[in-house]
Amino acid sequence: MNGLLSAVTELSRSQLVLRVLIFLGPVVAVLAAGPAGRWPTWWVALGIVVLAGAFAAMPESAVGAAVMLAVLAWWAGALDDGLHPAVLVAATGLLVAHLAALLAGYGPDRMPVDPALVRLWVRRGALLLLGVPLVWGLALALRGQPEQPGIWVVGVMAGLVATVAAAVALT
Amino acid sequence: MTQPVTHGDAVWRPTAALGRAVFTAAVAVAGALLVGEPALVVLAVPFIALAALGLLHRPTQAPRLTTHLDHTSLHEGQGTTSRLTVADAGDAEYLTRASGRPPYVVMRPHAGQVGALLSGPDGAGPTVEISPRRWGLRFVGQEKVALMSRWAGFRFGPVPLGGQHLRVLPMAAVYDSRADAPQPVGLVGAHRSQRPGSGTELAGIRPFTPGDRLRRVNWRVSLRTRELHVVSTRAEEDTAVLLVVDALADHGASGGVDGAASSLDLSVRAASAVAEHHVRSGDRVALRVVGRGRELVGYGTGARHLRRIQHTLAGIRSGEVAEAEAGVLQLGVTGGTVVVVLSPMLAESIGAVAATLTRRGVPVLVVDTLPGDVRPGVAPGTDPDLASLAWRMRTLERTAVLQRLAALGCPVVPWRGPGTIDDVLRRLARRAAQPRVVAR
Repeated sequence: MNGLLSAVTELSRSQLVLRVLIFLGPVVAVLAAGPAGRWPTWWVALGIVVLAGAFAAMPESAVGAAVMLAVLAWWAGALDDGLHPAVLVAATGLLVAHLAALLAGYGPDRMPVDPALVRLWVRRGALLLLGVPLVWGLALALRGQPEQPGIWVVGVMAGLVATVAAAVALT
Repeated sequence: MTQPVTHGDAVWRPTAALGRAVFTAAVAVAGALLVGEPALVVLAVPFIALAALGLLHRPTQAPRLTTHLDHTSLHEGQGTTSRLTVADAGDAEYLTRASGRPPYVVMRPHAGQVGALLSGPDGAGPTVEISPRRWGLRFVGQEKVALMSRWAGFRFGPVPLGGQHLRVLPMAAVYDSRADAPQPVGLVGAHRSQRPGSGTELAGIRPFTPGDRLRRVNWRVSLRTRELHVVSTRAEEDTAVLLVVDALADHGASGGVDGAASSLDLSVRAASAVAEHHVRSGDRVALRVVGRGRELVGYGTGARHLRRIQHTLAGIRSGEVAEAEAGVLQLGVTGGTVVVVLSPMLAESIGAVAATLTRRGVPVLVVDTLPGDVRPGVAPGTDPDLASLAWRMRTLERTAVLQRLAALGCPVVPWRGPGTIDDVLRRLARRAAQPRVVAR
């Protein structure tokens, strides 16, 4: 406990704010499913809180991917209608947590975050969020339309191509 | 002074953020396709864009980094700037510097941890201001530098950059003395000597003798006595000052230039101040360090000589020497030298040498540099009561040594800054003018 407290006190104030955002993002994303018709059970909420806490403590670790996976799994399995407007809140929560972790990784824990860098990423984050309502609106518009033949094959192929391209670029 | 770039194995690597974005986007799209849930695509949209933009801005060029300090020699409390120059950093967007934390060194901003957006492929990175707070040889400028690509997809480094040694000279303490040296026997200087000469200090009025200059004639006395009289003056000569710094141990904790001073802090700063004063007065100053390094600077004068003394003082490290333990310390003092011993007076050899020189008729002044609230450093596992008793016994012995020195005529004064040794030097000068019996 003392180690945790000393680690928190060593953080700069701006880093502390980022860690709070990292923690709140996934929690908000899961709780947003409540208004859409499915509040998370206590053990799901507890699991998300634990994962989000670990993500806030270690923003550069693989826990971040795990917490994202958990949120996506909840939204994939828990709801009958995932296109409730609350999904916009969930998307915002996930993006805020991701960008806060990204900003926290720019320097050591004790280093305050550069305000110019924060402004840059706030602009970028707003730009990225613009696509969310567009895709959500498109999905709403296409809901109920008859399924095009081969749409899933095209989707899987597109996903595979993107995965291979990303793998090539990363190696 | 330039620090060469050392990043042989540093390459651009994907960041955790890029990995997370790619993973989230891939899982969300795959999940949407598998379970037919379009909400997952909505959630994945920002991550798909982030992953794509991060990958598109993959860097191809390795940046070159160069650091340098504006100064390599400073006085404690002064500051210098560590500058970082970047070249071939067209792929980089942000630069982060994380400096190490050497003892007794203060860095700004944010303890040397600073970052900034880069304005171009070549140019200067953020600067770090460095201020050493204690004299000595400090290793500063050791840091890690990282660069981030656009959209934070790739990180270069952190690249460890080696630091460099910074010689921190003792603080230029405010010190001035108006007292004359006890035994000036040099050629030309600022101290009144006992012999007549062409100085400015009035020695008396005496009858005219052939060879006297006419401008020395005192007409008022000559008219009254109807015989020519001249004003006689004392010669002004320089003196030799030997500074003996006791570095056998460092007692007390040092808080740097802003905090508490240890015994060695006081000794070094006092020696620097006294040396500076006497060098500026035109006196010949020498330095002898009694300690591990046994540093020695011969007699000399001038700004370069003062610099040499200060550099030597900055390199002092405390530690015992066999010579001092054996109590046969030889200082090689010649006639006409004033010896200033700067010591906490806890070593027997220092007290012995001061007593020996005093008995020989050499003007010796001991500046006591033991801090008032000093407590002994106790090894782990030592009984504190036993350590306290031992320290009390040691301080009693020290008091006895100081009393014996005072009885011999060797003054002991605590260092108090300006004017510390004025009164003592005046008394020594008066005593030097009186006839005395010297033990040989």
